Amino acid sequence: MSVPFAHIGHWWTSILYLAPVVVVIVWLGFQSWRAKRHDRDGS
Amino acid sequence: MRRRLIVLGAGLAGAALAVPATASAHGLVGKQDLPIPEWLFAWGAAVVLVASFVALAALWTSPRLQELRERPVWRVPRILDVLCGLIGVAAFVFIVYAGLAGSQTALENIVPTFVYVPFWVAIPFISFWAGDVFRAFNPWRAVARFAAWAAGRMGGASALPAPLEYPRRLGRWPAMVGILFFAWVELVLPPGQRDDPSTLAIMGLAYAAVQLVGMSLYGIDPWLRNADPFGVYFGMFARLAPLHWKDGRLFVRRPLSGVVQLETRPGTVALVTTMIGTTSFDGFSQGKVWTSIAPHLQQWFIDLGFTAQTSVDIAFTIGLLAMVAIISAFYRVGVIGMASVGEGHDAAELSRRFAHTLVPIALAYLVAHYFSLVGYQGQAMFYLVSDPLGHGTDYLGTAGVAIDYGWVSATGIWYVQVAALVIGHVCGLVLAHDRALSLYRDPRAATRSQYWMLVVMVGFTSLGLWILSAASQ
Repeated sequence: MSVPFAHIGHWWTSILYLAPVVVVIVWLGFQSWRAKRHDRDGS
Repeated sequence: MRRRLIVLGAGLAGAALAVPATASAHGLVGKQDLPIPEWLFAWGAAVVLVASFVALAALWTSPRLQELRERPVWRVPRILDVLCGLIGVAAFVFIVYAGLAGSQTALENIVPTFVYVPFWVAIPFISFWAGDVFRAFNPWRAVARFAAWAAGRMGGASALPAPLEYPRRLGRWPAMVGILFFAWVELVLPPGQRDDPSTLAIMGLAYAAVQLVGMSLYGIDPWLRNADPFGVYFGMFARLAPLHWKDGRLFVRRPLSGVVQLETRPGTVALVTTMIGTTSFDGFSQGKVWTSIAPHLQQWFIDLGFTAQTSVDIAFTIGLLAMVAIISAFYRVGVIGMASVGEGHDAAELSRRFAHTLVPIALAYLVAHYFSLVGYQGQAMFYLVSDPLGHGTDYLGTAGVAIDYGWVSATGIWYVQVAALVIGHVCGLVLAHDRALSLYRDPRAATRSQYWMLVVMVGFTSLGLWILSAASQ
């Protein structure tokens, strides 16, 4: 069980490649939520 | 919105620089002089894509690419078409002969290098700017056209029966299956088989036989447009080109505008995702993740009673198919997301309508993964053409030429890979944005629908860079 953590230096950077996707999804999700709220408040 | 983007970009850059670059020390020696860690390039690429997305939303407010505008610039002499066909047939016959009669050592015979470098990789590199040059040199097309011409001369108009109608539901599925099979040969078969000259020659003959039978049944052009795997594959990249060879004339058009006209017949989406997926697996299979998974898969099949080699083949086949499935699923998720925006467009329709946006991505993956192969192994053609059969001849006096590995560094290759991926995905965004503007009545809905394509593009870019960085470690 400890093996993956012993080699963390070898794979943790892989996660960093995923980070931009997550950041963009969160940002776009926030934008969509704001747009929907704006539409709802306006109507 | 722009202010938010600047803040987001600054945040990303700041967070990235705050993380130490320990893992980059495991990269290739030549890449240690990169100014920033490799993964930070993925973040930078994402920032470029987001900035492009914002710029498109603000500045590109009406469709500009949907209507094909091209102008003729040259009438191609008929003799040139015949000459190119003859060259293609001669090259094919020579390659088959070299494969069967030449040395069976892969590095000595011209066939493996010719098939995997100038043919499979360099033709797309040429096609995306020079247009569909393969069509002119296509040996199977040339033979079929000659047969049709000769039959017409001998027996008149009634010499040949009318071709059958090409089944519409078959679409580009035969091309997809053919490309997947070729990728399987290249990536799954063990080196002794995949680069065996006589095996490749026999496969070439079998391929030619299938093409000739197909063209005789369904007509030359319908078959070539749908079912000739290499013809369709190279033709996809040629659609990006500013040059268009058609009906004996050369036309000039805007870059990218040709691919917008891609007819989305059945199998088109599968073909493009297969193009991306197979290239991805080529890099992925050289990375640490796959080399840690593959032995377990192989052992599982050995435990089931398969031989060691068969187990390796099955494991790699599963890996190849899984990668194609992952790419397809990722695109599908983006399309389903787009469908949720409304205006009555369902996922199946959007999948077809946006399939062309994947073509520049397929090209970007191809350039990124195979630039070094063309740059290094492509040089082997200089000595192989002088001694094509590996019998010790030196027809051109270049048999002694060695490959120069110093003309471009590993760092230089990395920059080309990053640039190819970023440019390819920005082109994909442009195509998707333009298609959305023509498809959605409300421009705001069009932009919202492209949130999903932005995620797909950022995902593909990050995946491509991750695979490339992992493969080089």
